[in-house]
Amino acid sequence: MLVDRLPDLDYSRLLAASRKIARTPEKPSLKLALLSDAATQQFVPILRALLDRNGFSAEIYEGAFDAIELEVYNPSSGLYAFEPGAVIILNATQALRSSFAKRQASASDFAREALARITAVWTAIQSHSGATIVQSTFALPLERFFGNFDLKTPDSFYAVTRNLNSGIAESSRQQSGVLLIDIECVASLVGGSRFFDDRFWDMWKTFCSLEVLPSVAQNLVDVLMATRGRGVKCVVLDLDNTLWGGVIGDDGLDGIRLNAHGDGEAWYRLQLYVRELRRRGILLAVCSKNDERNALLPFESHPEMVLQRDDITVFVANWKDKAENICAIREALNIGFDSMVFLDDNPFERNLVRELVPGVIVPDLPDDPSDYVRFLTELNLFETAAFSGEDLRRAEMYKKEAERRTAAASFASVEEFLQTLDMRIQVARFDSYHLPRIAQLIQRSNQFNLTTQRRGEAECERLMHDDSAVPLYVELSDRLGDHGLISVVILRKDGEELHITDWLMSCRVLARGVEQYVMNEVFALARQSGAARVTGRYVPTAKNGMVREFFAQFGFRKISEIDDATAWTLECESYIPANVLIKPAEKDPATLCTVRVT
Amino acid sequence: MSDLHTRLTEIFHTIFEDDLIVLRHDMTADDVENWDSLSHINLIVAIEKEFRIRFTTAEVAALKNVGELEALVEAKVNR
Repeated sequence: MLVDRLPDLDYSRLLAASRKIARTPEKPSLKLALLSDAATQQFVPILRALLDRNGFSAEIYEGAFDAIELEVYNPSSGLYAFEPGAVIILNATQALRSSFAKRQASASDFAREALARITAVWTAIQSHSGATIVQSTFALPLERFFGNFDLKTPDSFYAVTRNLNSGIAESSRQQSGVLLIDIECVASLVGGSRFFDDRFWDMWKTFCSLEVLPSVAQNLVDVLMATRGRGVKCVVLDLDNTLWGGVIGDDGLDGIRLNAHGDGEAWYRLQLYVRELRRRGILLAVCSKNDERNALLPFESHPEMVLQRDDITVFVANWKDKAENICAIREALNIGFDSMVFLDDNPFERNLVRELVPGVIVPDLPDDPSDYVRFLTELNLFETAAFSGEDLRRAEMYKKEAERRTAAASFASVEEFLQTLDMRIQVARFDSYHLPRIAQLIQRSNQFNLTTQRRGEAECERLMHDDSAVPLYVELSDRLGDHGLISVVILRKDGEELHITDWLMSCRVLARGVEQYVMNEVFALARQSGAARVTGRYVPTAKNGMVREFFAQFGFRKISEIDDATAWTLECESYIPANVLIKPAEKDPATLCTVRVT
Repeated sequence: MSDLHTRLTEIFHTIFEDDLIVLRHDMTADDVENWDSLSHINLIVAIEKEFRIRFTTAEVAALKNVGELEALVEAKVNR
């Protein structure tokens, strides 16, 4: 379904929505006939609301109750006069149960005859109409007559229903123009005891409980959208904390969590799921904030990595914003935005993409990675109306095509997006409450880390009491949520100089102006303390290449370079404050007063 | 006016799309526009959801007027 979060499938709200929709649109984009041996008065309004939500302006022909065969065998029936584009056949388990009770022959003969009746209906429709047929399967009955033996004997109603479903599936493979709405699957997903509410059948011949009706209708809408070619072609994947646990740039190959057994199994299962999608012809792309070298590392060298570099049609790992990168991926693949799904654990990235690249489907992944696969399954994003060898070759085709294209679309509105975020920052001196998190961030940050000095909690505590040091932590929040403590900067007053000894930041908040804001603060502190200049050093490691030019971007002058380690300086009066879109947190003003250079 | 009565009234307003409906004890389906078999199911389901109760088939079939409905809901809520 082409919506970006778990859609609202509340019966009452959909019912209310359906009242506002025209029953006979002037130019219907879809003419739908619904035939059933159950009552459909409850179903049709819900179906209408969901069709409307998904961009269809539909006209629906509702056949009379339990009159499927009367309609399809009569060439001058209302059904054919309506000229439907699609005919939905909804067969209820309850109706099947009634005719099973009246059977004259054996249970297996009954199943054979029931299947023959269903396929004869298809043939009749196809001889009078060019409509696509969508046939339901049966929800499996709950009652048992033999206990567990129900499945073993072909004589039970349960076995008959299962066999009938298999027969419907098999026949639909042989007959073109017949698609399935797999109600058995819908019922099993919500649970049979929730699916059935026998009171509604007894009183009104409604085939399932009303709370489940929207799920059935949504599945039908998904099938109909697939017949119009509206479906997902490409999954765009984030890497860190989405395809594996942890941050490859910080945690390294040994540190990320990804394995078939153990604490990385959730991500491993997601990779298995995604690989199956790849095998069925869905294109995969990577969009990651990372150095490309780091991003590729697990693909090349992690022993438990399921996805291979070859599975990824377009691989984008850089420090640009993801909206820009997704536009580049789209251009490389030459597909529509609305056929792309973007999977990212980070709500910030999801919202950025959602707001800047309309059309892209951006599911709000659950917090627990263990729930990813179930969540994606419930969204039913990968519906299709056909499957062929062509689908399997598609990925290869796209890959070649993508290699030919160069993608360099540029986006101007990231600032606008950031402005809407209402980002709030707090810069404060170390305090004992925050010491554990400060020490943790110092241990873990590898990429955005100028000097990579690993200071433990005890040392941080000493700094906290050291009057000549200005140890600062930075917290960030925005209207989407609290990012917590995301940066640590340690300054030391040394005569005329305010020296930056440590500066590190979590890469999750990159490119939002945090470091610019903090640098403004640093110079404000320097002036306030009477320092003439601010100085700092960059000490290269295997992982911190991204901040090599950190000081240069603020106008610092390089004063020395020894083995790639650089030292920088900038006079206070020469510093031009950076433009920032972040405001100070409206928190405790007292904490701000504690930031002082003594 | 009891809380139950107010909540029940709101459900009627939503289901029958008429905010002017005033519930009376002797009121029946004939007194309310749009109260047909279809909206009756929706009414029953909405009441079940709102009050977290469940009607039996027999109870639904036996209901004669709004007064009986309200009394039934009250009895079930207080059970």
